[in-house]
Parts: sequence; C-alpha cells; structure tokens
Amino acid sequence: MTTIRVPTPLRPYTGGAKEVDVTGVTVGAALDDLAVRYPDVRRHLFDDAGGLRPYVNVFLNDEDIRTLRAEATPVEASDRLMIVPSIAGGAPEAPLVPVDHAALRVNQASIILLLLTAFVIDATWLVAIVAAVMLAGTAIGRPGFLWIYILLRRLALLKSDVLQDHPQPHRFAQALGGAFLVPGMAALGLGVTWLGWGLAWLVIALAAVNLFAGFCVGCALYYWLHRLGLPGFRVGPPPSTFPGQRPSAAR
Amino acid sequence: MSLSLSAGLLEEIRAHGAQAYPEEGAGLLLGAFDGDARRVTRLLPLDNRFQPESRNRRYLLAPRDLLAAEDEAERMGLEIIGVFHSHPDHPARASEFDTQWALPVYSYLITQIQAGAASESRSWRLAEDRGMMVEEPLEVTDTPNAEEA
Repeated sequence: MTTIRVPTPLRPYTGGAKEVDVTGVTVGAALDDLAVRYPDVRRHLFDDAGGLRPYVNVFLNDEDIRTLRAEATPVEASDRLMIVPSIAGGAPEAPLVPVDHAALRVNQASIILLLLTAFVIDATWLVAIVAAVMLAGTAIGRPGFLWIYILLRRLALLKSDVLQDHPQPHRFAQALGGAFLVPGMAALGLGVTWLGWGLAWLVIALAAVNLFAGFCVGCALYYWLHRLGLPGFRVGPPPSTFPGQRPSAAR
Repeated sequence: MSLSLSAGLLEEIRAHGAQAYPEEGAGLLLGAFDGDARRVTRLLPLDNRFQPESRNRRYLLAPRDLLAAEDEAERMGLEIIGVFHSHPDHPARASEFDTQWALPVYSYLITQIQAGAASESRSWRLAEDRGMMVEEPLEVTDTPNAEEA
C-alpha cells in the first residue's frame, strides 16, 4: 500500500489521520482511493469536473507530480505521496463596465479635425479650446466632445458601440493628450512654433492610431504603469486583450 | 466560532499589509485550535509568490514554503490555524477567488489597505459546502500571550 500524507486542514475529513494507506497503481487512482475511504475529503481535493482543485499539489517522494506524469504517474507500494496545498487568494478584479467606443471615436475624430484646422489656419486659440475640452472632460470623467456624439446620435447619424471595458485608461489617454497640448500652446505663445505644432501633431497621430487602428497608446501606457504597481493605476487590461487594444465585442 | 489575537499581533499584520502595498502581503497565523474558537499566538509572514504583474490583486504561498512553515510551527509546538492577507484598495471581504482557493478549517484574516494605510480587518472561514466564506467574529485582546512576551 502507498502512504498519503494528509495536510492539516484536510485531517478533520480523514478522522484526524495524518497519514493514510491507500491502493492504486497511479497517483490519480491513489487519490481516488483516499476519497473513497473518506468521502468528505473528495470535494476539497477534486472540483465538480473531477479534476484536482488548483490549490492541490501532490509530491511523489518529494517530486511535484506535475514534473512527472501528473495524475497518470505510476506509484508503487513503497512510495510516499504528500498532498501540500498552495494557499492563494486576493482582492476582486475591477469589474468591466459598458464603455461606448463610438463616443470615444467621435472624441478622437473631433480632436483630429479641430487640431488640423488649428494648424491650417495657424490658430493657437483653437488648440487652447481643444486642450480645455479634453482636460475638462477628463475632470468630469467623460470624453470631452461627448456632446458632439450625443448630437450625432440624436440625428440618427451614428450607432453606439458598447464594449465591456475599463473606462479609466481611456480617461488617462484623454488627459495625456490634453497635457501634451498645454506645453504645446506655451511653445506657440513663445514663438517656438516647431515644438508647439509638433506636440499638436503628436496628439493628432495618437488619436488617429486609436481611431483608425483601434489601438489606444495612452491606455497601453496606463496598463504598463499598472503593471509597475504605480498607485492609482488600479486596473489591468480586460481578459485576453492586449494592453491598449480594443476589447473584442464577443463577450 | 471566533478568531482571537492580541492587539499587538493585529497591528503587526496591518503593518505588514501596509508595507507590501500596492502589492498584497500574506502569511500564516500560528496558534492553537480550541474547539471552534482559536487563538493566534505567532505570525509567519511569507513571500508572495504570485507572478509579479498581478501581485496587487493576488497572493500565493508556495507549497515548499508551506512545508517549511509546517515544520517550523511543529518545532514551536503550534499549528497553522489560518492565513492573513491584504486587499490593496479593496474591502476586507472574501472575494470569489478567495473562496475558490480557500481550504477548509483555516481562518482567513483579510485587511483592507486603503492608499497605503490599513483600515478594516475581518476574518472568514470557508463554508462546509465550499459555496461561500462565512465571517467569524474577530476578538482582539489587550493582553499579549505568554508565547508572545
């Protein structure tokens, strides 16, 4: 018979026994035999589908069975199996919420068109308006040019495109764009036009990548800062989504 | 059912969580089972072995560390009676993930760390049917144990 060492929190289910002798030619069969002898231990070892629960680690004579042949690993009577739990847990993930990506795209298109116009007619004041709208929108937690989107919706010229997403990175991206325009305006005011318009063109380019390629550089930066553990950057990218990429609609 | 510990030990747990912020900090509660009431007399902080990019939302105490901890507890004549961990910027409520990964019997003491400072601490145990975590009263005593002195 093979001996299984039972971890402390499972001993109440094995009548207090620290070690139990079982039969079985594989690790899986030996564990199953344990659960047959002590039925109450089963639900803590196996999930509803019959697989080992994620926190269950099994060592065969000190070797993790995952590095051997997992549950199919053969055992002999002289072998000693050890069940050792991993202990894990943690705070809930920030839940995804509906984010209307059509509103975000109208915001990006508005920023691009107005900044292009400002460049063509050489109007620093228009850059100032775009920056103010972007930063004000960030402050109240919505796209600055949301009102244009609402107008277009009302005229039935646009449909909404609601995806399950995190709104915080998009707010950060907008804030970043607005923040680029502030020194841009200062540069234009001081006559350093190449720097001023350079920054405006940078914002145009980033908004365009977002609008046409569906990639939000500001969001990617947000997720990167989240990864570095910076306080305030609380959410990670939605499941199976590359940081900055639009989340897929099929969810 | 209840979990009791001294104010000094609770303060150590809260300081450990604040120090780990913005990551989760975790460790083991050592002490004695006294029927359904238990008393914590020592702490054993352990490394969070979850992959680094998710440590602000997850903790993992590795099996090898637990084996060593069990030996150490045995040497001190104590038992592992539970686990403490922190929830950075989240309430001290057991999450769905906590429930999925919870072991029976153990007490799970969770401390909320809000913007780097410890706020609420609450203790939970897995229900027999594994369906949920049930809160247990946390009894904080003024006097340290003989073992702590």
